[in-house]
Amino acid sequence: MSAPGTGHLEFLAVNGAGADGDRTPLARSPMEAQARAAGARFAVREGWNVAVDYGEAAAEREAIAAAAGWSDCSHLGKLELQCASEEVAAILARTWAGAAGEHDQGAASERVPALTLAFATRAAGAWWCPLTPGRVLAICPSARTAALRERLHAAAAQAQRPASVTEVTTLYAALTLAGPAAREIFARFCALDLRASSTPLYGLRPGSVARTPGLVLREGEERFLMLFGWALGEYMWTVVEDAGRHLGARAVGADALASLQGGAEEEVGANA
Amino acid sequence: MSFVLTCPNCGPREVTDFGFGGELSSRPRTRPSLRELGAYNYFRRNVAGVQREWWYHRSGCRAWFYAERDTRTNDVLWTALPGQEPDGAAPAGAAT
Amino acid sequence: MSRLPPTPGERIDRSRTISFTFDGATVTALEGDTIGSALHASGRRTLSRSFKYHRRRGLFCCAGQCPNCLVAVDGAPGVRACVEPVREGMAVEHLNAWPSLGFDVMRATDLFGGPFTPPGFYYKTFIRPRRLWPLYEKVLRHAAGLGVLPSSQDERQWRTEYRRRHADLLVVGGGAAGLHAAIAAAGLGADVVLVDEGPEPGGRLLAEGALEQARSLAAQARAAGVEILSRASALGHYDGMVPVWQQDTLHQVRARRQLFATGTIEQPLVFAGNDLPGVMLADGARRLAAVYAVAPGKRAVLATTSDRGLAAAASLAAAGVQIVAVADLRERLSHDLREQPSAAAEPLLSAGAEILSGHTIVAASGRRAVSGAVLAPLGGGPERRFACDLVLVSGGQAPASSLPLQSGARAEYSERDGNFSLGTLPDGVHAAGELSGAGDGSGEAIALSGTLEGLRAAQALGFADAQTASLIEEHARALEQSRSAEPPVAVPPAVSGAAHGKCFACLCEDVTSKDIKLSTAEGYDSIELAKRYTTVTMGPCQGRMCQLASVRLMAGETAQSPESVGLTTARPPWTAVPMGALAGRPFEPAKRSPIHSRHRALGAAVMWAGDWRRPYHYGDPDAEVRSVHEAGGLIDVSSLGKLLVRGPAAGAFLDLMYPNRFSDLASGRVRYGVLVSDAGRITDDGTVCRLDEESFYVTTTSSGAGAVEQWFSWWLADWRMDAHLTDVTQALGAVNLAGPRAREVLASLTDLDCGPDAFKYLDARRAAVAGVACLILRIGFVGELGYEIHFPAAHGEHLWDALIEAGAQVGIRPFGLEPQRVLRLQKMHLIVGQDTDSESDPYAAAMPWIVKLDKDESFIGRWALEHLREREPQARLVGFEMAGARVPTEGAVVVLDGRTPAGQVTSARYSHKLGKVIGLAWVPAECAHDGAALTVSDAGATMAATVVTQPFYDPAGAALRS
Repeated sequence: MSAPGTGHLEFLAVNGAGADGDRTPLARSPMEAQARAAGARFAVREGWNVAVDYGEAAAEREAIAAAAGWSDCSHLGKLELQCASEEVAAILARTWAGAAGEHDQGAASERVPALTLAFATRAAGAWWCPLTPGRVLAICPSARTAALRERLHAAAAQAQRPASVTEVTTLYAALTLAGPAAREIFARFCALDLRASSTPLYGLRPGSVARTPGLVLREGEERFLMLFGWALGEYMWTVVEDAGRHLGARAVGADALASLQGGAEEEVGANA
Repeated sequence: MSFVLTCPNCGPREVTDFGFGGELSSRPRTRPSLRELGAYNYFRRNVAGVQREWWYHRSGCRAWFYAERDTRTNDVLWTALPGQEPDGAAPAGAAT
Repeated sequence: MSRLPPTPGERIDRSRTISFTFDGATVTALEGDTIGSALHASGRRTLSRSFKYHRRRGLFCCAGQCPNCLVAVDGAPGVRACVEPVREGMAVEHLNAWPSLGFDVMRATDLFGGPFTPPGFYYKTFIRPRRLWPLYEKVLRHAAGLGVLPSSQDERQWRTEYRRRHADLLVVGGGAAGLHAAIAAAGLGADVVLVDEGPEPGGRLLAEGALEQARSLAAQARAAGVEILSRASALGHYDGMVPVWQQDTLHQVRARRQLFATGTIEQPLVFAGNDLPGVMLADGARRLAAVYAVAPGKRAVLATTSDRGLAAAASLAAAGVQIVAVADLRERLSHDLREQPSAAAEPLLSAGAEILSGHTIVAASGRRAVSGAVLAPLGGGPERRFACDLVLVSGGQAPASSLPLQSGARAEYSERDGNFSLGTLPDGVHAAGELSGAGDGSGEAIALSGTLEGLRAAQALGFADAQTASLIEEHARALEQSRSAEPPVAVPPAVSGAAHGKCFACLCEDVTSKDIKLSTAEGYDSIELAKRYTTVTMGPCQGRMCQLASVRLMAGETAQSPESVGLTTARPPWTAVPMGALAGRPFEPAKRSPIHSRHRALGAAVMWAGDWRRPYHYGDPDAEVRSVHEAGGLIDVSSLGKLLVRGPAAGAFLDLMYPNRFSDLASGRVRYGVLVSDAGRITDDGTVCRLDEESFYVTTTSSGAGAVEQWFSWWLADWRMDAHLTDVTQALGAVNLAGPRAREVLASLTDLDCGPDAFKYLDARRAAVAGVACLILRIGFVGELGYEIHFPAAHGEHLWDALIEAGAQVGIRPFGLEPQRVLRLQKMHLIVGQDTDSESDPYAAAMPWIVKLDKDESFIGRWALEHLREREPQARLVGFEMAGARVPTEGAVVVLDGRTPAGQVTSARYSHKLGKVIGLAWVPAECAHDGAALTVSDAGATMAATVVTQPFYDPAGAALRS
C-alpha cells in the first residue's frame, strides 16, 4: 500500500483479484433477479452472468423492430479519467494510439481526439463521454476493460498535471433501450429532450432519469444507452418495465441487441 | 417553480435536476471577528432582483457552477463554470 | 328519447346505442353523446345539487366550464357530465344530495337557512362551545362539498402516467385559430403540439355545425406533423412548462414558445333564479342542439347583450325551438329595430319572437325547473312575464385568459364591453383568435389571426423561410382590415332582480350577490380579500363564470370602476384535475445493496434507511446482539457513503475539510473524522483511509453520502484545488464482520496475514477474500474485533455467501440495523442526525479530541470552533442508564426540578449484555458528569436515570483491539 501516485485500485475492478481457478467469482448485474423473473437465459461471458436471451430470440428482435426492447448492459466496462482539461486530448490520443495496435479495427490511429461536451466519441472500441472539461467516462465491452484501463493509466502517468484513472464499472448499472418506441418510454420517466432534433446521434445527456442521477447516450438512430446508479438496478428495471409494457416493449437479451444491424454501436454495445 | 437552467457542461435541464447552493458569498480569507463570522454564516442578502448563485448539477455531471438569476422572475441571465464567467460580468466578489 | 332531426354537423351515431346507469336507472344514449347530452335527451333536468344550498342544478354551459353537471363516474367524483363521453355500462351518480337527488334534506339550508348562511357562517355560528367543534365539523363536512372519494382504492386501480413532451411550439386551443396557427408553424418545420379540451378539435366550429371544416383543418394539421391531443386540458403555466391532463396521462409540455387560442367564455347574467335547471348559456344550448341533436327546451326566452346571443337563438329557432321573447340589453337598437332589423335579429322576428330592446331578465321562476321568465326594462319599469321551459342567457364574451395571465401577461379593462382583455404578452407567449380579440369573432378574422401568430411563432423560433416576413405583413394587414365597425355590445348590470330572490354570482360555491355585498360591508373590500372570504372564483370553474360578475358587484358596492377593482391573480389549475393525475406514476428510487436478495431470502425485516432498503433484523435482534458478542456477526453496510479523493493535493484538501489532520496519515491506516460546517456544527462523520500517497478512501454516513460529495466538490470548485473526487458509494458493497471469532473466519478466506500484530486496529489492507479483490478496514463501530470489507458490487452475493458459509461453523450469523444500534449504544458511539442536530458541535458532543486547533490551515469550522472552545456549552451529550426497566422514547424530555424541560433523550435501548436500559441524551452542562441524577419525562411518566460518561461496554476498548 505504499505505491506512489494514484495507482490502480483493484478493489474497484470486477475480477480484480485475477483468475484463481474455481474461486474466480461470477460478476452479477443488479438486475439479475428481475431478468430471471422475466424468463432470461443466462450465459457466462467474460466473467459476467449475462442475460443472453429470453428464450424467444425472434420475438425479441421483432419487439425491437416494432416497438422497443430493453436489455441489461450493466456488464459494460466503465472507466473514469480525471485530469486537467487542457490535457484530456493528449491523454486520450496516447490511449487511442496504443489501443489501435492491439485492436484490428484500427479505430483511432493518428486521429487527434476532439471531444465535445454533450457528445460521445467512439474510438478504440469504446465510447468516450466527456462529463465535464476535465472528466471523461469511457464505456467499453467487458472484454476490453482491463486492457483499456492499463492503457489509460499509462497515458495518464505521462501527464504534466495530476491525472487519475478509476474503474467505475460497478458504479453504473446500464440498460439499453432500442426501437421506435424507445423515446416514448423515456418520456414516461425522464425530462430529457431526446428528440432527434435535440439529441443528434452520439448525443450524451447526463441528467435525471426516474428521479435519480443518470446518463443517456444516443448510440444509434433509435438506440439509447442509459447509465444509472448500481444500487438502483431493481428500481430502474421496474420503472422501465412498467412504462415499456404499456407501449409494447419487452425485455430482450444481449444477443438480440448484438444482432441489431448497422451503426457504430455494435462494437461497443455487444459483449463480444 | 419549474424553470430551466443551462448546465455549462450538459445543456438545458429542468431546475429539479440541480441542487441550489445559495447566493455567492465569500469565505473570509483571514480570521474573522465574531461579528464577521456570524454574518458570513448566518446572513444572506436575499435580494429581489438579479443575484449570482451557486448551482450543482446533482443529477448529471455533478459540477458546481455559477448562475445569475432574477429572483423575481426566475429568468436566468447566464450560467458558467467558475473562472469562465462571461465578459462584462462583475467579478464574483463584487456582487457582495 | 327525443332527438332533433339529423343535421350534417352532429357528432352522434344514431345507429349505435349505449346504455349506462344514472343513480341506478338505465339511460339509453347514442354513440358520441356525453353523459350530459344523454341525460338531457332522456328528459332529466336536474343533474346535481349545489355546494351550499343544495339547489337543483342542470346543464348550463355544455362546454365543461361550469360546476352544474358534476357527477361521479364509477366512484370517481368531480366528472363534468357535459363533456364526458358515455361508455357502455358506466355507473353515473349524482353528487352532494342525501338521501336522493330528487329529495335532498339539506335543501333546508336554502329554504330556511338563508340568513344563517352568510360567508364565513360556520366560523361565526359554530364558534361556541369549542368542545363541540368536532361534532359541528362532521355535520358541516357532510353538508358542504362536491362529492366523496372512496376511502380505499386498490393500488394503481386507476393507472396514471406522466409523459414529458418537448416541443418548439405548444398551441392551447383547437378551434379555428389554434388549428390555423399550428398548420402555419408546423408548415415551416416547427415541432408543434396542439391540445384541445373537446373530443375532437374544432371548438366553436363544431357548435356552429361546421364539422367538415373542423375535420379538414385537423387533417391538414396532422399532415403537417402536428401532434393533436384531444380531451386534453392545459392546467397552468409554470415558468414555461404547461401540464396537460388527458384522461390518464399528465403531459408535461415544455415548449420553447406557447400560443394560446383558448377563445372566450360566454358570461352568464346575475338575476333571481339564474341557477334554475333550464337556464342555459345561449351557446351551450346551441352546442347541445348542433352537436348532439338534443333540444335544450321547447319554448325559450333569450336575454342577451350582443348579436352573439341572437345568432345562437336563431340557430335554435331553425332547429325547432320556439323563441317566444328576447330581452336585448342594447338601448340603441330600440328605435330602428322595427324598420331596419339587424341581420342577427331578422330570423327571430320572422319566427315570431317578441324583441324587447333595452330590456334584461330579472327573474327565472319555477319549482324544479324553469317555467317562466320575467323581463323588465333596464333601470326599472313594467315587468313582462313569459311562460317558457328554457331561458337562454348571453352576457358577453370574456377572454379565456387565465393561462396567458399566468405566464405573465397583463389584463386591460375595456370600457366598450365592460370586459378585461389581454394586454402585453411576455416574451415567448402568443395569443390568437377570439382570445386576442380578433375581429370580434368573425370566422375570417379568427383564421387570419391564427395563421398570423403561427407564422410569428415560427419566425421567432428560427423556422422562417424567404416568404415568411412578407406573409406576416400580409396577414397583419388583412386582419387589420377585417376590423369593420364593431358590432354593438351592452355592458350588463352587476345584478338585476335581487328583490325576486337569490341571484348567484358564483355557481360553484353558491355565492350570491348579497354575499358579496355583505363581505364588502364587513370590510373585505378588495377583490382578493372578498375572494378568500366568500370563496367566489375558488370553485371548480376557477372564475370562468364568476370572475367578471364578482368584479362588477364589487365595483358597484365600493363605487369604483371594474378597472380599479381589477382581477384576482390567475393561478393554476385552470381546469379541475384529479389528485391522482398530479401524483402520476409512483417513482420511489429505492437503493438496494448488491446482497439484497440474500436478505430477502433470509426473511429480513426490511426498512427504509434514508433512500436505502436495509435489513432491520433477521427475526431475533436480541440473539443477533448476543451472537456478535459471543462468536460473531455479519452486517451489510453497503449503504455507507464512499468517496475517493485522489491527487497530490488530496491530503491538504482533507486537512481543510476536517477539524482533524489527515495529511500525516500513513498509507494503510484509518482515522475517524467528523465533518463540521463553518459554524462549527457537526454535519457528518466517518472514516478516512489512506490507500497510497495520493489516494484517500473516505466513508460517510449512509444518509450523508450525497451531501458530503456535494460539500467536497463545492469547496474543490470554489478553491479550484487539484484533487479528484469520485463518489463510489454504489460501486462497492461493504460488510462488517465483527465478533471475537471474526479473525479466524476472515483468515480462512484470504492469504492475508490477519494476525493481531500484522493487521492491527485501524489498519487497512487490500487483499483477495474468497477470490474477490477487497479493501479491508479494521474498525469497530459495534465494539468487538471487526473488519469492514469493501468489494465490487457485482461480487456481493458471492462474498456474502462465502463469509456466511465460513462463519456458520463458528456460530457467526447475519445481524441487522436494530442489533447494530444496541451494540453501538453500548459503546456510546453517536449517530450523526440521531444523537446530534444542526446545533451540535464537537465540544458539546463530547468529542473535543477531534478538533486540532494546532493545525495551520483555516480549515472549515476553525474560527467557529475557536469561539466554541472558549465557551462552556449549555448542553452536553452524555450517556445515561435508567434506574428502572422502561425504555424511554427517543425524544423523551429530560426535566429539571421535576418539570422544567432541559434536554432530551436521543437514543435508548435495553441492553441484555448489561442488563439495563442505556441511552444517550442532551443534558444541562451542570449535569454532564458521572453519577448525576436525571429525571426523564415520557408520555406523562417520570423516570429516574443516572449520567454515565464512559462507554457502557468495554470502556478501555480491549475487545476492539484484540
